[in-house]
Amino acid sequence: MSEQTDTLVTELSRKLVEILGLDMTADAVDPAAPLIGAGLGIDSIDTLELVVMIEKDYGVKIDTRAAGVEALASLNALAAYIRQRRPASFP
Amino acid sequence: MTPPRRVFVTGLGVICAGAGNVAKLRDLLRTQKRWFGRPTVFPTAGESATLPVAQVSGFEVADTLPRTHRLALQAAREALGAGSAPDAIVLGTTTGGILTTEFALQAGITAPDAYRFHGLDTVAEHLAQSLGVRGPVITLSTACSSAAVAMSVAAALIRSGQARRVLAGGADSLCRLTFHGFRQLQLIDPRGSTPLDAERAGMTVGEGAGFLLLESAPNPDAIVAEIFGAGMSCDAYHATSPHPEGVGAVLAIRRALQDAGLDSSAIDYVNLHGTGTEDNDAAESRAIKQVFAGTLPALSSTKGLTGHALAAAGAIEAVISIIAITDGLLPANTGLQTVDERLKLQPVREPTRARVRTVLSNSFGFGGNNACLVLGEARPETTTIENETTQATATSLSPLRVAAAACFTARGALPQTWEALISGESAAGFVPDAAFSKAVPNAFVRRLKRLPRLMLALAQTALQASGRTSPPALLATGTAWGPLAETQDFLRKLFETGDQFSSPMDFIGSVHNAPAGQVALLLGAQGPNWTCSSGDRSFEQALLCVSLAMAAGADSALVMAAEAHEARLSPLFDPAAATGPLASDGGAALMLVPDDGTPGARVRWLGESGDADSASSAAMALLGQIAGPGYDAVAVSVPAGISAASEIVRLTQMLRPCPVFTYRDRLGQHASVSATATALAAHAVIEGTLPFGPTSIPLPRKRVLLLLLGTHATAVEVFA
Repeated sequence: MSEQTDTLVTELSRKLVEILGLDMTADAVDPAAPLIGAGLGIDSIDTLELVVMIEKDYGVKIDTRAAGVEALASLNALAAYIRQRRPASFP
Repeated sequence: MTPPRRVFVTGLGVICAGAGNVAKLRDLLRTQKRWFGRPTVFPTAGESATLPVAQVSGFEVADTLPRTHRLALQAAREALGAGSAPDAIVLGTTTGGILTTEFALQAGITAPDAYRFHGLDTVAEHLAQSLGVRGPVITLSTACSSAAVAMSVAAALIRSGQARRVLAGGADSLCRLTFHGFRQLQLIDPRGSTPLDAERAGMTVGEGAGFLLLESAPNPDAIVAEIFGAGMSCDAYHATSPHPEGVGAVLAIRRALQDAGLDSSAIDYVNLHGTGTEDNDAAESRAIKQVFAGTLPALSSTKGLTGHALAAAGAIEAVISIIAITDGLLPANTGLQTVDERLKLQPVREPTRARVRTVLSNSFGFGGNNACLVLGEARPETTTIENETTQATATSLSPLRVAAAACFTARGALPQTWEALISGESAAGFVPDAAFSKAVPNAFVRRLKRLPRLMLALAQTALQASGRTSPPALLATGTAWGPLAETQDFLRKLFETGDQFSSPMDFIGSVHNAPAGQVALLLGAQGPNWTCSSGDRSFEQALLCVSLAMAAGADSALVMAAEAHEARLSPLFDPAAATGPLASDGGAALMLVPDDGTPGARVRWLGESGDADSASSAAMALLGQIAGPGYDAVAVSVPAGISAASEIVRLTQMLRPCPVFTYRDRLGQHASVSATATALAAHAVIEGTLPFGPTSIPLPRKRVLLLLLGTHATAVEVFA
């Protein structure tokens, strides 16, 4: 796992906890665990909130259910999804 | 016992994309021309510029009067025709003056005058002033079911004898908040909505207004149709998504049929809510199949034609339903190419001639708020309409027993507030977070801001204090300003990103009925769920809604009202209340049950009276109706910025020796403080002393009158 991925996962973890008001610290989120429908209690509204954040902060759109399933499988999966698609204008 | 009064429709008015009046809507239903296009009432850029809306032509934003107000007045005048002023207005709206407010906020305007038509109540107030209405002017805001809820309240006012002629409907204009909100929820179909279609991808946000003039004893020649019944429910399932099996929709439809005294087989046509979103159409189709087991009536959604005009939708569709009845026309499901097979429905594909006697019109909204109307050809016994002389004059509504009361002030909950007041201290100020932040688990409230948290804590506290474990049958909330932090955060983020991004969560939270939806979710309350947003009298109107429904047989109700101070918006919208030493927020909740004779406090809604010219004469007219000695004290709420010194002097002279005093200097200035005063009065009549006057006032007769002065006067009595 590259250092860059770690940094992005850490950043996403912090945003996840902050934006969704989760009652836990950022480093307590397991980066390999499913984001939706598991222990975090994340629902469809949270998902949309994350989708908007990902497009705004990283320039990556998630506009189909299939894309959502792939991108939000876990924090690691989300970081990989963003890294593959991030436009040059979003360093 | 005399049967309830009937509710006749004697006038129709409408405006929506492609139709500026009822005659044009008739044409539109035949031609099915969709007027979808880019919005021009606010700027768009990038992706959002490609999304269609259903915009009414004309009515560009004026300097002062917002678009919603102007749309509403045009349709209201059409419905009223040459008739005299109605006794009351009941309006559903979610946008109020927000379109104008958005421009002012973005321009950084800090003069409160620019925001004087922001409040939801100002739409109906503008109608009342323009049309000369002197009775109750009621504003409901339950998202996309607002207009249908408004019409059900109007029908209840007539049936109970509180009014004889009521103008009822809904109005909403396009604005950035709703357009970008639904866009961020990925609920706008880029090709224009096609409800029930296999390829449907969301709604088309629309705008407009619709009104029905409702009368209990009209000239028979004036009768156009009749409202047979109405039914409301709350999903208590999710903030925005309908229950997947349509559980709440089934409840509302069945309640409407029961209220109408009809079997489902009597329905000839269903005007669906049918927004064109994946979830709504799927849930609604399941509900329809469950209620109309076996043979389905003709049905269609007309939102593919008119767009989804949000709070106006239920009124526009009531007008469409009545055109179906009077013209013998089944409206088509405009835009439909291939029906979604999974729905197992066969909507009307082309406008079709047919005898239509009875129509069910569905309206469902965020917060799980559902409202259904049953409209029909006036029944033949029309000739036995009660005439002027046999019609009883307005009977007062029954008192309700207060099973428990809760409030939050700067001093904390009700016991702390009481102690402070008894000690001669003030309860003005903002509620400390610690007073209410622990009432509900964080997992439930993690995404919620100040107003829903206050409301949830009030509901929880009142329910627990009542000893009740099951949810209340009815739930009514009042809030003048709604969830301001959510509105402010949504618009701030939107403007910061050049109208590109904002928070879906803030949009969902910004609707006025979002807190009530959360309360229903917490308590599992699937009964009718009203949110009144009528400025300083929002609480009194919430009390009126439950009082009307309790008269029809419900066994319990939770009534509450609250405001949450927001640093930027509160001083702009309600400057006199949001600044200075008396600036406050908070609110109160009452658990109410029928007056069963058990000892305890009682509360009764006595009346609302308005007067375009003078708060003084409104108050006097109201006191004339309710006159009677026997009160130990008259506690008066005078909203900030209103001068009522001469009224207080006159009231004091009229009611001598009963003490008359204003209480906002003790309880604080905010729009829902009359709820707090009512909760404290319910405690006071038991304790025998009222602590929020200039001094503590003894209550030997255990009877207090609570008045609210302003553009309208309201009266509520509390006794034991």
